[in-house]
Amino acid sequence: MTVLKAELTRLAKGMLADPVPGAPPVDLTVAPSQVEDAAAILRFASTVGLRVLFWGGGTHQGIGNAVAPDVVMTTHGLDRIVDWQAEDLTIVVEAGVTVSALEAQLQQRGQTAVLPETPAGATVGGVAAAGLSGWRRLRYGPTRDRVLEVVLATGDGRAVTGGGRLVKNVTGYDLPRLATGSLGSLGLIARLCLKLWPLAAHQGMVHVSDPEAALRTAYRPLAVIETNEGSIVYLAGTLAELEAQAERLGGRLASGHRWPEPLAGPWEFVLRVPAGATGRFVDEIRRNGWAFQAAHGVGEVRLVVDSGDDERLAGLREEAETLGGTLVVFNSPARGVLDPWGAAPGSADLQRRVKAAFDPVGIANPGILPGGI
Amino acid sequence: MALVDDLRSTLGSDRVHSHPLELLVYDKDAGVTRGEAVAVVLPETTQEVAACVRIAASHGVPVVARGAGTGLAGGSVPAEPALLVVLTRLNEIWEIDEYARTAWVGAGVLNLDLSRATEHLGLHYAPDPSSQAACTVGGNVGTNAGGPHCLAEGTTVAHILGVEFVTSDGDVVMLGSKAPDPPGLDLRGVVVGSEGTLGIVTKVLVKLTENPPAVRTLLLTFDSIQAAAATVSGVIAAGIVPAALEMMDQPMVVAVEGFIGAGLPVEAAAVLLAELVGLEEGVVAEASVVERIANEAGATSVRVAADDAERAVLWKARKNAFGAVAQAAPDYYLHDTVVPRTKLAEVMTEIYEIGRRNNIQMLNVFHAGDGNLHPLVAYDAREPGMSEKVRAAAEEMVRVSVAAGGSLTGEHGVGLEKRELMGLVFEPIDLDAQARLREAFDPHGRMNPGKVLPTGARCFDFDLAGKKEVSP
Amino acid sequence: MEPSLGPTQAQLDSCVTCGLCLPHCPTFRLTGDEAASPRGRLMAMGAITQGTIAPDEVYAGMLSFCLQCRACEAACPSFVPFGQMMEGARARLAEVRPTTTGRVRRLLVGKLLNMKWLLALVTSGVGLVQRVGIMRLLPRRMRLARGLRRQRVFPHSAVGVHDLAPAVPAGSVALLAGCVMDQWFPAVHDATRGVLSMGGFKVDSPETQRCCGALAAHEGAERDAARMAERNVAAFQGYDYIVSDAAGCSAHLKDYGHWVEGGESVATRTRDITEFVAELIDSGQLPEVKGNGDEVAIHDPCHLRHAQRIFDAPRKIVRAAGYTPVEIDPDGLCCGAAGLYMVYEPDTAEALGEAKREQVESAGPTTVVSANPGCEIQLRAHLGRGYRVLHPIELYWEALNR
Repeated sequence: MTVLKAELTRLAKGMLADPVPGAPPVDLTVAPSQVEDAAAILRFASTVGLRVLFWGGGTHQGIGNAVAPDVVMTTHGLDRIVDWQAEDLTIVVEAGVTVSALEAQLQQRGQTAVLPETPAGATVGGVAAAGLSGWRRLRYGPTRDRVLEVVLATGDGRAVTGGGRLVKNVTGYDLPRLATGSLGSLGLIARLCLKLWPLAAHQGMVHVSDPEAALRTAYRPLAVIETNEGSIVYLAGTLAELEAQAERLGGRLASGHRWPEPLAGPWEFVLRVPAGATGRFVDEIRRNGWAFQAAHGVGEVRLVVDSGDDERLAGLREEAETLGGTLVVFNSPARGVLDPWGAAPGSADLQRRVKAAFDPVGIANPGILPGGI
Repeated sequence: MALVDDLRSTLGSDRVHSHPLELLVYDKDAGVTRGEAVAVVLPETTQEVAACVRIAASHGVPVVARGAGTGLAGGSVPAEPALLVVLTRLNEIWEIDEYARTAWVGAGVLNLDLSRATEHLGLHYAPDPSSQAACTVGGNVGTNAGGPHCLAEGTTVAHILGVEFVTSDGDVVMLGSKAPDPPGLDLRGVVVGSEGTLGIVTKVLVKLTENPPAVRTLLLTFDSIQAAAATVSGVIAAGIVPAALEMMDQPMVVAVEGFIGAGLPVEAAAVLLAELVGLEEGVVAEASVVERIANEAGATSVRVAADDAERAVLWKARKNAFGAVAQAAPDYYLHDTVVPRTKLAEVMTEIYEIGRRNNIQMLNVFHAGDGNLHPLVAYDAREPGMSEKVRAAAEEMVRVSVAAGGSLTGEHGVGLEKRELMGLVFEPIDLDAQARLREAFDPHGRMNPGKVLPTGARCFDFDLAGKKEVSP
Repeated sequence: MEPSLGPTQAQLDSCVTCGLCLPHCPTFRLTGDEAASPRGRLMAMGAITQGTIAPDEVYAGMLSFCLQCRACEAACPSFVPFGQMMEGARARLAEVRPTTTGRVRRLLVGKLLNMKWLLALVTSGVGLVQRVGIMRLLPRRMRLARGLRRQRVFPHSAVGVHDLAPAVPAGSVALLAGCVMDQWFPAVHDATRGVLSMGGFKVDSPETQRCCGALAAHEGAERDAARMAERNVAAFQGYDYIVSDAAGCSAHLKDYGHWVEGGESVATRTRDITEFVAELIDSGQLPEVKGNGDEVAIHDPCHLRHAQRIFDAPRKIVRAAGYTPVEIDPDGLCCGAAGLYMVYEPDTAEALGEAKREQVESAGPTTVVSANPGCEIQLRAHLGRGYRVLHPIELYWEALNR
């Protein structure tokens, strides 16, 4: 190990970084500032079989099977906005740029990348790797649909570009979509091009009593969110549009625009079910007395629970899986109590082969995906 | 036993074609290249498709999937002797979920039939390629098809939640799901647009979109292409993403008007068809902004469709454009490049210059709003040297688009047509990664070989010490 | 002059294989098979014309499976003259590859249909059988017999009738009596004559006219079709208009230009009764009758909607008769009758007829209008009791006499 470490240290000259707070203890933490450097380290790691854990803001490291790394690779050094084509509604950024910094900058010209509402420090690369979408998904679709180009440092150390900096493009296989949500299993997402949307002139909220009816009444709301406190329809558009929508919803336009405060609890879950079944699951969650935030029309319910070995969770998961859904652990105080993913997908064999095409040795976030892929 | 006998014992003789004439009618799609199959089968179920794939594999014959054959890049034209699996008979709409706004449909269901079947629920299937009356949902999945209304709604992949998929081994797996973000790698996203090179999609779970409460369709005319292009860039830059923003130049308008008689302005150098949808309040406001930007760019007239009937005629005109080309010449060659929308006017000028320099007849009709160009050359292939000249000019147009930061194809796919041009947009290492991805799905090269990736894409290998090595 | 049908190389070149015709083709919709699509048929014709493949029974089957509904023609943005090419291809095939069934079919449509005494005999026979009530014992292949109107045992013909002219006639009209139309649908002719007279026209049905030749043309009986056209060009000389109340016939008269010398003069004077009457209603020469607005389903015969592009006229007539027209099919797909097709391709005809029945049933109305005799027979055969199927001109005439 010491020989390898010496070699790696030589290779990583100038990239060595202090250990990242919260990360598992490792011998070496690297923070490459060029895609090619990241690729070089991964190539070496593949050669000698060192497992690498990728780290962005560390805000969503609780997702997936635990990785026992030899090396942590952070994206702190990849923090540049490369090319913002405001008039074409596209932007190229490096993975380590934080979501909040990017959105703040875009907002100055009335644009948004529709990235999720994440805790401070969350990075664009991390959000893409985790495949996270925000509340506005109902209106704008998932984050995955806005990743136009990726530059990937693959597990076996190539700097590969897929997609293109264009809002419409079917040239070649869709690596951007494959990389989004891959949780580092193929390698490091080092740079991405995102599709932007113009921000609507106004945003507003309407409190409603029946979120499912509201979903059918409102035209393209940003979100219809139900929590333990009640339901809110989030709207965007011109003032005239908002007023017309509020009237149709039979409610008043509330001043201000606030997303629900993030839920905090020892065990955080995301339940994903067919959109039409959201209400049914919300009823069950409510009966169980858990704190939740449900995105109607999307089929996603975030919930927090005190204990991971509550058998009602297993029941909920089973019910979701019957409908083709999942109950995913997002954060937990202890690993190994509950499988973070649930049943392995039917395509596990194909997934394993696809991972191997990019990471043949299996050193990039090894085992993090369902089925230990 | 011979391939055809094996197929007949599985499907019966009615649904297996091997007569030369029956093979000939399948030797091309709506594009220009031809390639004959060794046999054509018309399976009716996923299990039958899987059986055909296994039988072909056992005979060492590759498999090519085909929908309605309206593709423009030769994606369903065999590049080498292959079994052609025609999916038109998988045309059942299995389930429409009004509340989840999803539907399970067979790969052979026609795009427009799906929207018709959901009309009474106030829903539609958003991607609307110009061939939507004829093309199949499965074919749309294969090419990740676009269409005018993909500007705001995204192309096919944004509307496909899951697929039932027959692998190169003839196994059946489900990719994606009705619930959002199924765990693991998004293989659904990779399969959409893979042109049948990874496996065969037999059933599709689509997302349905609600019909907008209000629609405004504007027909804007200009006395120069540049003015129309400037309007497009201006609209996008102003923060408006219309539902559709389409451009036609004068030769195209003349050809289409000859068929439809929609009263299109045949004297204008260019027309823009802009559609705004949403709530009445928003649509009115946006329409006036579009009109102002057009006028500032020098629009010579603005016509607003008075009713649904007039709107339908305008769209019919737009969607029949390609088919109307035969009025000009018996053959056409068509590209599908995409450029950043800020470069639209500049690239269009260069493309016209290429046409002028080569003295070829060119018509343009395209999705201006997302920078997706369709320079279309009408010619007579029997004229000596004409085909070569046209291809050379077309390649020049592609190079100009790529040089402006663009790409080869926005919606038609790479197919046979553009695969040798892939090197213009991707480095060898990128193509190699794509070839590896393909191998992961199809290690034996059974599925639609000779498409998408150029010959020799998997041409080099790294050893893990970092040296580049060229494999034999 | 020899008929100039094709398929010529120029006609074949006019197809760019875009495939926009496919969904409009009933046989493609049924089979999903390119070999049963307009594009596939054109590709096959091309290969045969160029001699790359020799015509055999597979080619014959491909041609004969076509309904000749010409829906593809209406959908074609490049104006491929498919109907004409198919007629030509069938004629060419008959020359190089004559078969017994082909000969029988051509004999039937080329010769026998013009033998009035024979048709009258058949009609009497049908009338007798209907009265004895053994129609339902007929095999499925003869399902069409169940769709026939009740026939007279002593049939009458409109040929040779000369209606009294109004004092100041608006013009002269030659009524094409037709073959089966004349014998089996006398009530339609009566209504046509009545309406046209009321509209101010002098109506004759010239003695020397023959069957229009449409069925002969469809079957590739080229010379017979040309001869009939020749006779009719002479018979219809001097009339301002030539009107037919069978869409298949009016469509064919309009195609006379490439069949026979002087054919263009017939073509330009020909009107289908629906378009003619719709114009008279528009111009106020015929009245709009107030009715109770009951719903009537509109069936568009292919040779009206696709071959002649007449769409609004039957709807206008139904409204003028005081009813509310109801749509049954956005694409106007063929009902499967297609002339003799329902006899020699009974399975396909059956499937299309059933599809049409479902469309009518889900539309609601129990009265259906169709401006072509073949469709009427097919619709009645499939819809059965409880439905009234008639020509729109009959509905209008009924309303005028109410």
